Amino acid sequence: MTILPVADRKGVRRALVDLFAADRRAVAVVLGLHTAASISGLAAPWLLGKIIDEVVAGASASAVDRLTLAIAGCVLAQGLLQRFAQYYGHRFGERAVAGLREDFVHRTLNLPVSVVERAGTGDLATRSSVDVAAVGNTVRDVVPVIVLASAQLGLLFGAVFLLHPLLGLVAFAGLPSTFLAVRWYLRRASAAYLAEGAASAELTDALTTTAEGARAVEALRLTEARIAFGRQRIGAQWATRRRTLALRSVFFPVVESGHALPVAAILLAGGYFLNRGMVTLGAVVAAALYLQQAIEPLDRVLQWVEQAQRGFASLARVLGVGQVTPEPRGAAEAPASRELVVRGARFSYSDGHDVLHGIDLEVRPGERLAIVGPSGAGKSTLARLLAGIDAPRSGTVTIGGCPVTDLDPAERRRRIALITQEHHVFIGSLRDNLRFAAPDATDGQLQSALDTVGADWAGELPEGLDTRLGDGAHELGAAEAQQLALARLVLADPHTLILDEATAALDPTTARRTERALAAVLTGRTVIAIAHRLNTAHDADRVAVLDGGRVTELGSHPELMRANGSYAQLWRSWHGGSSNTGAC
Amino acid sequence: MPPRLPHADPGTPDIRSPLRYAWWLARCQPWRVFRGSVIGTAWMVGLSVRPYLIARAVDGGLRTGDYGALLWWVAAIVVAGIALAWLGIMRHRTMTFVREDATARSAAVVLRAVSRGGAALTRKLDAGEVATVSGSDIGNVSHVLTLTGPGVGAVIAYGVVAIVLWSVSPFLAMFVLLGVPAIAVAIGPLLRRLDRAESVYRREQGALTAQASDIVAGLRVLAGVGGRSLFARSYAGRSQRLLLEGYRVGAVASWIFAGIVVIPGLFLAAVVWLAARMAGAGEITIGQMVAVYGYVAILILPVYFLLEGGYQLIRGRVAARRIIALLKLAPDGTAEAVTAKTPSAPADLHDPATGLRVRPGELLAVAAADPAEAIALADRLGRFAPGEVTWGGEPLAGMPLAQVRERILVDEHDSYLFAGTLREVLQIRPELGDAQITAALHAASAEDVVEALPLGLDTPVGVRARNLSGGQRQRVRLARALLAEPEVLILIDPTSAVDAHTEARIALRLRSARQGRATVVIATSPLMLGRADRVAHLRDGRIVSTATHAELMETDRAYRALVSRDVDSNDDLDSDSDTGFEAVRR
Repeated sequence: MTILPVADRKGVRRALVDLFAADRRAVAVVLGLHTAASISGLAAPWLLGKIIDEVVAGASASAVDRLTLAIAGCVLAQGLLQRFAQYYGHRFGERAVAGLREDFVHRTLNLPVSVVERAGTGDLATRSSVDVAAVGNTVRDVVPVIVLASAQLGLLFGAVFLLHPLLGLVAFAGLPSTFLAVRWYLRRASAAYLAEGAASAELTDALTTTAEGARAVEALRLTEARIAFGRQRIGAQWATRRRTLALRSVFFPVVESGHALPVAAILLAGGYFLNRGMVTLGAVVAAALYLQQAIEPLDRVLQWVEQAQRGFASLARVLGVGQVTPEPRGAAEAPASRELVVRGARFSYSDGHDVLHGIDLEVRPGERLAIVGPSGAGKSTLARLLAGIDAPRSGTVTIGGCPVTDLDPAERRRRIALITQEHHVFIGSLRDNLRFAAPDATDGQLQSALDTVGADWAGELPEGLDTRLGDGAHELGAAEAQQLALARLVLADPHTLILDEATAALDPTTARRTERALAAVLTGRTVIAIAHRLNTAHDADRVAVLDGGRVTELGSHPELMRANGSYAQLWRSWHGGSSNTGAC
Repeated sequence: MPPRLPHADPGTPDIRSPLRYAWWLARCQPWRVFRGSVIGTAWMVGLSVRPYLIARAVDGGLRTGDYGALLWWVAAIVVAGIALAWLGIMRHRTMTFVREDATARSAAVVLRAVSRGGAALTRKLDAGEVATVSGSDIGNVSHVLTLTGPGVGAVIAYGVVAIVLWSVSPFLAMFVLLGVPAIAVAIGPLLRRLDRAESVYRREQGALTAQASDIVAGLRVLAGVGGRSLFARSYAGRSQRLLLEGYRVGAVASWIFAGIVVIPGLFLAAVVWLAARMAGAGEITIGQMVAVYGYVAILILPVYFLLEGGYQLIRGRVAARRIIALLKLAPDGTAEAVTAKTPSAPADLHDPATGLRVRPGELLAVAAADPAEAIALADRLGRFAPGEVTWGGEPLAGMPLAQVRERILVDEHDSYLFAGTLREVLQIRPELGDAQITAALHAASAEDVVEALPLGLDTPVGVRARNLSGGQRQRVRLARALLAEPEVLILIDPTSAVDAHTEARIALRLRSARQGRATVVIATSPLMLGRADRVAHLRDGRIVSTATHAELMETDRAYRALVSRDVDSNDDLDSDSDTGFEAVRR
């Protein structure tokens, strides 16, 4: 159920052609050097054939010496040429990979939020790690090997042709079986190896999650269940590995048996031609040695071809991200007022049925509005419409008369911020973690933002704002991370805040600390709070009760209590047997 | 024969030393390992057959013009090629079976260790270590077993080639037999040097990948606050640094690869020169000269196998050490000192530290001014932390742990949810049917969670149920705790993330679901407290008052302030709302 697109064959081919075309000169130099290196590599067997002919003809020792020195010279030349071919090839690969990955991250950062949310971060995370790395390895390591080995193969077979065209034709005798085996294998291998990788990852998951949840395993007596589950994963891993082994069990023997065929054919035909004086003994022996030499590059191509195929599959997924239309740069003028107005807003998710059935709501600048209602009433959906993350199916959400989704995204974020349970500490320094909210902020401003939200811990960090956070460096607790998120808000300084159960997932101790920090951020802003605690509603200027996708009640706490509707009922039951609720 | 995996019983590993551990993995499958050695040897020796046959074909067929003999030798080359391919795949299959048997066995013992490790494991072990062990260490140890097959084969093949060469010319044999290992030893350090040069690159590359994943994970945060261009620039900067590091690696690597081509190439030239001089002098035949050329190439393989085997052994030892360290963390379960019996019938659970007493069958709420104290109390009651707790008057610490776990359950606020379908998450005992699961979901007011999922109970939920909302997760946790049906159930803030409507329903249903069994709920919400038989007010480490919610609201001013957040009446108490509106007004 992937939502992000995957590039098709044509797209991948075009991207590859572009990649080579962009660095045309380097590609030409690399190919030239590789060809020259391979030609010097071919000289050794040819010279060996010469030596044999000389020895058969009863040549002098000095002739043998000269030819041997020539062999040594060729080997040295091959080494040098190969060195530079490899070096420039490596540089080309590095450049190509760097371009691909930077482009990927750039495009990822410009994905519309709604696409990211619908796709989930799992798919994108795989693309950013597994696929980008696979493309990197393929472009940098696999493609050069295949290009080089293919060049060697071409030259080796070409050399046999040069020795004698008939010998060359004969040399191809062993190849059809190899070709068929490769085709058969490639059709099946990628899926099988991907399944193998997935099964291994699942076994690792089973083991790590069991360790992570060790307390739950003990408390709920899940030991036997976890062992049974893990055993199942071990069995699944074995099943996928047997599948790839079965593929290799067909592929390897067919290809390896094929290795003997060209040599056998050459010897047989060579004997025939030799009897008729069409070729020399040296030429036949050299041809046999060339073909013997061809086994190694052939094996190399076969070994990597499957990985190359997988690399191209990854490339298709990496390129796919670029096919999403990036978030539009809004055209609307910056609105003068900060009044948020919802008119007749309806909204439905992809399954088609409406979550919101015509919402009308005006949020006055500076007011505190609480939105309460049962789960599934559409509270979070309304919050997303207000923040401009989604556009209503019909109706409008405007700020100062301008539809929020028409605002430039950056502009919008400066005005309206949505705070959810999610928070994220980026890998990087504390400064990096704050500054993106306000790129021009000074260290003093960063520090005061941290003070505002009561992040005392920041002062105790060993290297202050330069302390590295995340990924094995200094890890922040949930409350600290949430405070960091709030400090970003102080820096971004939006006039309207939408809080969607910002502290609901925290444990009570942490929640309490975070709430105190939050209070400091709210001062002087318009606040819309999705609340599940009724005391929040009690303290708000107005309360909107949302039920079944409609606003059923709207007014201040005392007004709603007087109206005696569902809100009043809930308020009373919330206070249980307490008789002095009126005192609150 | 393929092994049957997973093993019914992986056996008891030898964890006295890393090499003993690897040896144990081999000892568990002696016949397969033996078969691997035999086939591995046959394959390696078989590799030297083709140069021999080609030499005979040249000498006996081509040179003499005897077409009949040539036909025979060529047929032999084809048959030998097929036989060699067969031996090759049999070797590969057998060794794959050996490695996979070892891998499954290691995975099974690690699985057993982490499953039995218990709550103490989370303190002693980082999940990342388990991932390393599973992701690479287990495989690395299994690869050591390759030495038992082709490793043995390589030694024997080397000997066979030595004998054949000796029969051609003792002098040439000495030159080749000493020369090839010398070259292998010379190239070995070059390869290791390459490994080192690449390690910096790989580390940088890993960091760059982590940064990309980090950006992806934080995309929604960036969407909320902005600042994308800063991240794009920072990533590009790092990517360009990796590019330069890549250039450096390329410069070193390309010289090393050139060396790998040149050194054996020059050696081969020397061998050819010697052989040609000897052939010219009539000491050996032309065919033998060609064969010597082939043998040199063939010998490189077993020598590399042995070198590679050496590296695998070094790497495998490090890996086995980590596996052993993990296995040693697991408790052996026999050391437990049992001094008391669990009560035969439901009995009072008493914590002297706070003075809390849980009576059989009651719904007791604990309202704590400091949530940390309440959590510590719950851990003592469930024997997850040491304490003086008594059960039926006897010390809880002296009772058999398994029985305590069976009868008392502490469900943490964020107790772990394993991945699986929702049914699998909830079905903590195989005998639990859909009817019981549905009843528990009803009690936890979580029917809507199931309804919202596309496949209902069969919908997969991720690790920690990340694809559910906080409120949904909490209700799934509660349903799971109810399904355990313990005699004493201790719940920590089970409704902190659900809306008031849902909380009201849960408070009501929890009561009837736990009818007749003791339930302790740690909470400060009046909705929950109002439904309890008794409410205990925990403050400064002691239970300061115990009564019904209504009574406490009347008589205990601090309690009233705690649950209704009546800030005007008590400024020194913490506020507890989810937005802190009132804090702004203070």
